[in-house]
Amino acid sequence: MCYTVCVIHCMSNGTQQSSEMFENLRLELRRGCLALAVLTQLRTERYGYTLRKALADDGLEIDEGTLYPLLRRLESQGLLVSQWREEDKRNKRFYRLSPMGEEVLTQLLNEWQKINGSLNKILQEA
Amino acid sequence: MSTPKNPLELVDRYLQAVRFWLPKTRRQEDLLAELGEDLRSQIEDKETELGRALDNAEVSDILKRCGAPMVVASRLGPKRHLIGPSLYPVYEFVLKMVLLWILVPVFLFIVGPATLASTNGDWGKTILTTMGNLWSGAFIAAGVITLVFAVLERTHAIADINCKWDPSSLPPLEKPERKTSMFETVCELGFNVFGLTWLLLVPQHPFLILGPASTFLTGGPIWNRFYVPIVLLAVAVIIRAVVILVRPQWKAFPLASQVLQAVLTLILIRYIIDAAGAAGSVGWHPFVMLTANAADRGAAEVARLGHVAAVLNALILVSFVCMWIGVCIGGAVHTWELLKYFRKQRTSQQPASLQVQ
Repeated sequence: MCYTVCVIHCMSNGTQQSSEMFENLRLELRRGCLALAVLTQLRTERYGYTLRKALADDGLEIDEGTLYPLLRRLESQGLLVSQWREEDKRNKRFYRLSPMGEEVLTQLLNEWQKINGSLNKILQEA
Repeated sequence: MSTPKNPLELVDRYLQAVRFWLPKTRRQEDLLAELGEDLRSQIEDKETELGRALDNAEVSDILKRCGAPMVVASRLGPKRHLIGPSLYPVYEFVLKMVLLWILVPVFLFIVGPATLASTNGDWGKTILTTMGNLWSGAFIAAGVITLVFAVLERTHAIADINCKWDPSSLPPLEKPERKTSMFETVCELGFNVFGLTWLLLVPQHPFLILGPASTFLTGGPIWNRFYVPIVLLAVAVIIRAVVILVRPQWKAFPLASQVLQAVLTLILIRYIIDAAGAAGSVGWHPFVMLTANAADRGAAEVARLGHVAAVLNALILVSFVCMWIGVCIGGAVHTWELLKYFRKQRTSQQPASLQVQ
């Protein structure tokens, strides 16, 4: 019985560890992709909520606590420009790519295509 | 708590709660304004979808999905840490080194025995006092180290270290661990058996320790008290050597027993030194004294021999003090080695992918 309890305990610990590990790797993988997706979406001007909706409609859910700090970071890096404007009687902050952002996005998309191609090749070989 | 008059007031309350946890800067105010706008847009969208205004419960659902104010603030706010990931490994190493490899051995081998002596051998009081002092010492040391590293973090000292780093300053490769050979252990055992035999013969044959001086010198009163504990310690040393010989697979035993042996030796030496110090100052002969026959040699000769005995007693006492210091250092080194061994064991149990190659 002790053995059974121990095995169950070890298995549940193992499952918990693997799910935690998966979550960490998933977040790591997502982080870079989110920046790329946000930059791509902001080729046309949007404000926070519509950007979130556009991403969610394309299957990339992002919460408020992640999106707004990311937008601030990309803006402070000079990749985005923003301005507060009134729309429908409410103040909204609109974002769009800066000229530098457009340049970096082109490079990033090329890199993404390369990585994607390599990964597909590796997956086909496996 | 009062119920909000309208659902939008709930949003304002929520934003106020998030603001409480954020630093009061322009950037955070901006972020908060955007969050508020996002929430209002969500409410507006939902209202358009349902064709009616949302009630408090429905707005609460939206806010709940957004997260607790403190959690949202932690995501929106700047990433703050006392000691960052680049300094943390050094911090952890220094903390472990100071607490486990310096503080604990110092308390075990120096403060503990000193406290035992000052409490006149009261073990309970000694353990309580030493543990109390160790706790306060560890707490203060950990606090000071954390403070120093927090300052280093703020002053970006790690960047300087990274710039000044030179590969030629790397330490040489560690030599592979030397294993105790069977021959060495057998020699140690033989030597210890010889030592014990010698120790057992000394009371009947003082010549074995005093040489020609045994004609006028004999063991002092202190040995009546400490002879048996010394013999027992010698027996324990032999048992240790036998165990090492017959159970070579007990890898931690040699080091752990060496630490224990050091502790026991320290306690014994401490008691001997205390007993010697407590012996009367007039005619102070705790270790060696003149034999009854020596009195027949005439007054001048007795005075000269008495002087020799006094010098010898003083030398033996100094030897014991030196031995105590030596065993303290040896004990600290063995404790260090034992901790290193356990650390190595723990590292070797980790998956190979996590080990430093």
